Amino acid sequence: MSTLPILEISNLTKSYGAVKAVNDVSMHIDRGEICGLIGPNGSGKSTFFDCSTGLGRPDSGKVTLDGQDITGWSLNRIAREGRMLRSFQKTVVFKALDVEENLIIAGQMFTFPSLFSTFSLGRMSRQRVTALRERARELIRMAGLWDVRHMPAGNLSGGQQKLIQFASMLMPEPKIILLDEPMAGINPKIIERVVETIKYANKSLGVSFLVIEHNIDVVTSICERVVVLDQGRKLAEGTPQTIVQNQQVREAYLGG
Amino acid sequence: MSLTQTSRETPLAEPSLEVRRRDLRLPLGILVAIVALSAPFLIGSYALHAIIIALIFLLPAHGLNLLVGYTGLLSLAQAAFFGIGAYTAGLLAVHYGTPFYVNLVAAGLMAGLIALPLGIPALRLRATSFVMCTLGFVIIGQAIAKNWISVTRGDMGLSSIPKPFFALGPASFTVSGTTGFYYLTLAVAVLATLAVWAIVRSPAGRNMIAIRENETLAESVGVPTWRYKLIVFMLSAVFAGVGGSIYAHYLTVVSPLTFQMYYSTTMLIIVLGGGAGTISGVVFGSLLFVGLSEALRVAPELRMIAYGFCLLILVFWFKKGFAPLLNRFWSFVGGVK
Ligand SMILES: Nc1ncnc2c1ncn2[C@@H]1O[C@H](COP(=O)(O)OP(=O)(O)OP(=O)(O)O)[C@@H](O)[C@H]1O
Ligand SMILES: [Mg+2]
Repeated sequence: MSTLPILEISNLTKSYGAVKAVNDVSMHIDRGEICGLIGPNGSGKSTFFDCSTGLGRPDSGKVTLDGQDITGWSLNRIAREGRMLRSFQKTVVFKALDVEENLIIAGQMFTFPSLFSTFSLGRMSRQRVTALRERARELIRMAGLWDVRHMPAGNLSGGQQKLIQFASMLMPEPKIILLDEPMAGINPKIIERVVETIKYANKSLGVSFLVIEHNIDVVTSICERVVVLDQGRKLAEGTPQTIVQNQQVREAYLGG
Repeated sequence: MSLTQTSRETPLAEPSLEVRRRDLRLPLGILVAIVALSAPFLIGSYALHAIIIALIFLLPAHGLNLLVGYTGLLSLAQAAFFGIGAYTAGLLAVHYGTPFYVNLVAAGLMAGLIALPLGIPALRLRATSFVMCTLGFVIIGQAIAKNWISVTRGDMGLSSIPKPFFALGPASFTVSGTTGFYYLTLAVAVLATLAVWAIVRSPAGRNMIAIRENETLAESVGVPTWRYKLIVFMLSAVFAGVGGSIYAHYLTVVSPLTFQMYYSTTMLIIVLGGGAGTISGVVFGSLLFVGLSEALRVAPELRMIAYGFCLLILVFWFKKGFAPLLNRFWSFVGGVK
């Protein structure tokens, strides 16, 4: 069981009209691994994420999470039952709600046994929310957001919003997290913080990661293995060192 | 499992620099309760009638607020469920002479159940198409009420719906007169307000707000948004149906005119004008808008013009309805400067 990859995607294809955004891509993420996904702009990385996490329907292909076929599951079911969480390239937070509420919402569906139990205001329900609030506060401290925890998330900087998004994904003790450009547009200090947090979640909480990232230094420092997409196809796969030297990959980036 | 070493620290209680005055919220609440309970002795019967209508409309407005204010779904279907509730209660009372509370519960259930098959296709539509679709429900409801003559008696409607009565074993008690009806409606309105409060404070309420704020993000953290939207749509219908049942008993007639767009827009004005996503705003809104509309009946030729002007003032001066104003007032009463 433990030798099985945590996530396996086979022959995934997705077209938008005439554009084959993802063309017959297969890859896997091992348990406890941090895997990188790189490629030029428009190479299909985000589409690949969407189709693997239920936000988009793939035209064909199969997604297996922890030994279970989850092809065709909805985004919310994959998150809730599969404990596979994802972030979005264009950072999103619940802008009008404060940081703490953002995190509590992110944890609720994993704590309540059914949809109907969420309508309860009983003692059990209140205890669950209290526990969620405590966990949210721990993560808020870790993310360095303690002083702004009661501010509306929309009032915070882009980097802080990325941290909120990341901390939210840690609320439900996930098995695997897919990050779409977590470092884009944030200052080096926060990049360091995000890198530290990814490493921490990976080492201490046993979360596996698939990370889309353009910053090659970051990729080299956190990923054991990298997959390269180009024009919807898988171009190469290997350690960051071999990928950087790969002639085809260099051409794809320069020629793109 | 502690994630950091610093997690033992407790946040320092910040010393309040604000000069606090006495907290007057409890006395004010008691005062409002006393006024509400003694209203029949303080105001004339026409004003009391206006308040009864306002309290009846508060019910569908509460339901609509769950939908529009908390879940972010704009619907015009409330009048349809209001009408369904009114006909359900009217038919039961006329044909079977059932007690008031039976009619009320049946009306709520009927509206909620009918909302299920309507909501399943409608909620798959995008925002604007959904609004059009809910508008269709009202029109279809009216057409059915007009044409299903064997049951609804068509345009003649149901008349001589009996006054609400309660039966407990051999004892029975009939509510007659405006004063009695006022207390009955007040009781139902207070219960409904508490119910909305409980729903909104529950974890489900937080999920509803998440759906309103960003549906895709809510999905991505595991919230089954589609099922929540369907449940809230049904709940909103239950509130409207209950309101309809009281309406039928109060007016003692139900006609196809119960299904009218004017009612849906009134309910929407109560919610948006009072303050979508707040409970106090909607309570205030129902008293203001329905009360105003009823009170202006004394000058029928000016009524709609005056009503229209009030809406314009609202739009330009209170962009978020009265809720922010009420909040400021409430914290003022609470002693915060
Ligand atoms: N909703 C859509 N409708 C039509 N075409 C789309 C849609 N989403 C993506 N595409 C196209 O699919 C291709 C892959 O896009 P995608 O966003 O997956 O690339 P990406 O690798 O994430 O790029 P970037 O690095 O810029 O984020 C592009 O050609 C894009 O124009
Ligand atoms: Mg992308």
